[in-house]
Amino acid sequence: MRFGIPLEERIEPGNLGCQGCGGALSMRMVLKGLSDDTVAVIPACCWSIIDGPWPVHALQVPVFHTAFETAAIMATGIKAAKLQQGKDTTVMAWAGDGGTFDIGLQALSGAAERNEDIIYVCYDNEAYMNTGIQRSSSTPIGTWTTTTPDERPETRPKKNIMEIMAAHRIPYAATATPAYPDDLLAKVEIARDLRGTRFLHILSACPPGWKMGSGDAIAAMRAAVDSRVFPLYEVRDGLDVTITRWPEHEVDPEAYFAMQGRFRPLLDDPEELARVRRLIDRQWETLVARHREHHPEPAAG
Amino acid sequence: MPDLSHVDDYPEIPVSLRSSRGVLRTGDWRNMRPVLAERVSACTHECPASVPIPRYFHHLAAGRLEEAFATFTLRNPFPRITGRVCPRTCEAGCNRVDREGPVSIRDLERYLGEATAGLPHLPSAEATGSKVAVVGSGPAGLSAAYYLRRSGHEVVVFESQPEAGGMLRYGIPEYRLPSAVVDDEIARLQAMGIRFRTGVALGGDLDLGNLEDEYDAVFVATGAWLGRSMGVEGESLMESGLDFLVASHDAGVRPPGRRCAVVGGGNTALDVARTLRRLGAEATVLYRRTPDEMPAIGEEYRAAVEEGVAFEFLTLPRALRKDGADLVVTLETMRLGDPDDSGRRRPEPTGDDREARFDAVYSAIGETASLEPFPDALKGGDGWLAVGPSGETKADRVFVGGDLATGPATVVEAIAWGRRTAEAVNERIGGGYEVPDWVAEQGDGVVGPTDINPATFPDTDPHHAPHLDAAARLAAGMGEEAGTMTDAEALAEIERCYSCGYCNECGTCFVFCPDVAIRWEDGPVFDYTFCKGCDICTTECPGHVILTVKEEEVARG
Ligand SMILES: Cc1ncc(C[n+]2csc(CCOP(=O)(O)OP(=O)(O)O)c2C)c(N)n1
Ligand SMILES: [Mg+2]
Repeated sequence: MRFGIPLEERIEPGNLGCQGCGGALSMRMVLKGLSDDTVAVIPACCWSIIDGPWPVHALQVPVFHTAFETAAIMATGIKAAKLQQGKDTTVMAWAGDGGTFDIGLQALSGAAERNEDIIYVCYDNEAYMNTGIQRSSSTPIGTWTTTTPDERPETRPKKNIMEIMAAHRIPYAATATPAYPDDLLAKVEIARDLRGTRFLHILSACPPGWKMGSGDAIAAMRAAVDSRVFPLYEVRDGLDVTITRWPEHEVDPEAYFAMQGRFRPLLDDPEELARVRRLIDRQWETLVARHREHHPEPAAG
Repeated sequence: MPDLSHVDDYPEIPVSLRSSRGVLRTGDWRNMRPVLAERVSACTHECPASVPIPRYFHHLAAGRLEEAFATFTLRNPFPRITGRVCPRTCEAGCNRVDREGPVSIRDLERYLGEATAGLPHLPSAEATGSKVAVVGSGPAGLSAAYYLRRSGHEVVVFESQPEAGGMLRYGIPEYRLPSAVVDDEIARLQAMGIRFRTGVALGGDLDLGNLEDEYDAVFVATGAWLGRSMGVEGESLMESGLDFLVASHDAGVRPPGRRCAVVGGGNTALDVARTLRRLGAEATVLYRRTPDEMPAIGEEYRAAVEEGVAFEFLTLPRALRKDGADLVVTLETMRLGDPDDSGRRRPEPTGDDREARFDAVYSAIGETASLEPFPDALKGGDGWLAVGPSGETKADRVFVGGDLATGPATVVEAIAWGRRTAEAVNERIGGGYEVPDWVAEQGDGVVGPTDINPATFPDTDPHHAPHLDAAARLAAGMGEEAGTMTDAEALAEIERCYSCGYCNECGTCFVFCPDVAIRWEDGPVFDYTFCKGCDICTTECPGHVILTVKEEEVARG
């Protein structure tokens, strides 16, 4: 085996995710890095469905389904209750980008500000996929969704949730994607062993929503990293930035966009595309500068 | 403890406690399915002996030396030999060739050879009671002897020279293939029960007709040892390059003078030139075409240049004469004309002559086989032996092969021929050896550069076996110029292999399955009850071992 991925599974074969669901794969990998003594708290999102219809479910750890905006506060409450019972259970809030960047942000900010002892995972498929591909504040510029159709595609940049979370000075925040499984697992393990609010932002392809073949899901997530559209990095204590993957072979962002039908409006608009390229470059430069601040020696790459 | 008694007043909340396994049979959604379908890697395809390269790499990396050796020797009994002298066409085929360079397959082959040098050969099949004579103990003869013995036949190898090995012992210089290695390999064949009779030559003590009477089959692989004549004035003043190579295996052999020339552009010419350099002489290769047309292995040419061999291209000797102790050679300058039958541009005379002085001039313009021992009945219309693809001749019991059949070729081609003939002999007289199931199960398709998915492999520069630099090579004289990789280097190099067409249990499919529909049982097992047919495993499999087939095709069977 070329990967340092545990064989052990904490999820049953078969789940109600679509073919090639990045969110399902993200869950599978994250649970490999946690322990059996874990509770998952899932607000309204695709994963409410993926886990299976009551009374059966796919995860081998308990799932608490909760309202769309309440993942962080429910996780906080469950953790408090577990502590009352004398148990040091890991409580993981597992929410989509809609439930994190948008409606759940207030509860998440509150929990992070109090440094609640929870792991909060946002599996980010860059839209409200479960209700039929509506835009969220995570949807990138130039994207088609059902609420940003071809005539007026998304005009605002993707919200930078990592900067928001880092601004709370929580012990750990990291980006990851299952296309780089060893990097993802390493971050889950770091989060698992820390205390306080830990935030994982996992880019998770949605083939139906991204308008691409399911077989290309991994390739798309990999290209997101290699094109620096979605850099892999971690932030300790809100300030210390480490880039964990320096793209070996830079992929042109346009190649990443071209893999997915949802970016057609962007590809049809050269000016917007040029703006997006500048944005990607500026964000990467900012990130590298922050990495260098924390790592004065130039890192490999 | 806070007062929690009011909790009982809340309505019950539904909690999912039961496992979904068996309930959510997501396999029903599928309209196509992944299947494991092993095929031929590009390196194996380019190997004249079809060695299953990724397959033995996998055993090697897992520390399964016996399996690695058994896998390799299914196609080639002599990794220690080809691991040193193979022109590695496999590496040119490697799907990593355009990245940082191919996997160092020959160096790994040598590593395998050295790591398994102490192992005995696989046990032979039950005795068939048949007897096979092999005439000639070069690579073709030894390879045939090995596979025939493994098939359960009694095998006797006849050799005209005092020691067995043929070209391996006498033709290839000591610095490329030490005779000690040849000795070991012959001892290992003897341990299988193969008998060797040296100092007996076909046409001399040995008569083909008698052999046919005495043996159930005879394989003749006596090589191509006759120097070709150039037809130039004073040709008798030239020495045979091949004879010099044979002599060079004896310690104390010295060239007759400092200034030596070698005529030719093939491997023999370069072996002679490089040997001359090691024995302290100057060597100038005179070749009538340019480096692009040279038949010699490219790396031999580069090594010769490094070692200070001088090359005079577009140069043809026209006449030789003695002038005191000097040999005076008249050289004509050539130019390239239109391509000839071999596709190489034909050298044409320009009429410009010059003279050069040497102490010795070696002829190495190619060797041919002697057909003297063969009756006319075995010859075709062109006067050459009539030979089938596996060495069949016009006589039922007689097979021929190696350089005798092909003209001067490589060791690995001779080894491949030996195995083909052994199989043809088995077909005729019965007998055979056990071959693993994968041989029959493997598809014929070759996995090419557009099939593979190298995305999960990091950039890694190739690791190479140690090789002396030119100065050290010359200082080492006839001592061996290359070494063997360390264990760590070999493992790291095997990790570079994409394992095209062969599942080496890399785990990529397992890791990327969103549906836990691939069970890991020392390799992937597809769980069709749950597999949704998303195609990720097929797309991500580095070596293109997983294919996606439509369910309707599966149903049709
Ligand atoms: C308060 C509230 N508003 C709207 C909904 C309907 N709803 C269910 S899931 C969902 C989208 C969730 O999007 P995201 O969080 O990105 O997760 P995804 O479905 O993309 O995985 C919405 C709008 C709801 N359940 N509750
Ligand atoms: Mg979403």
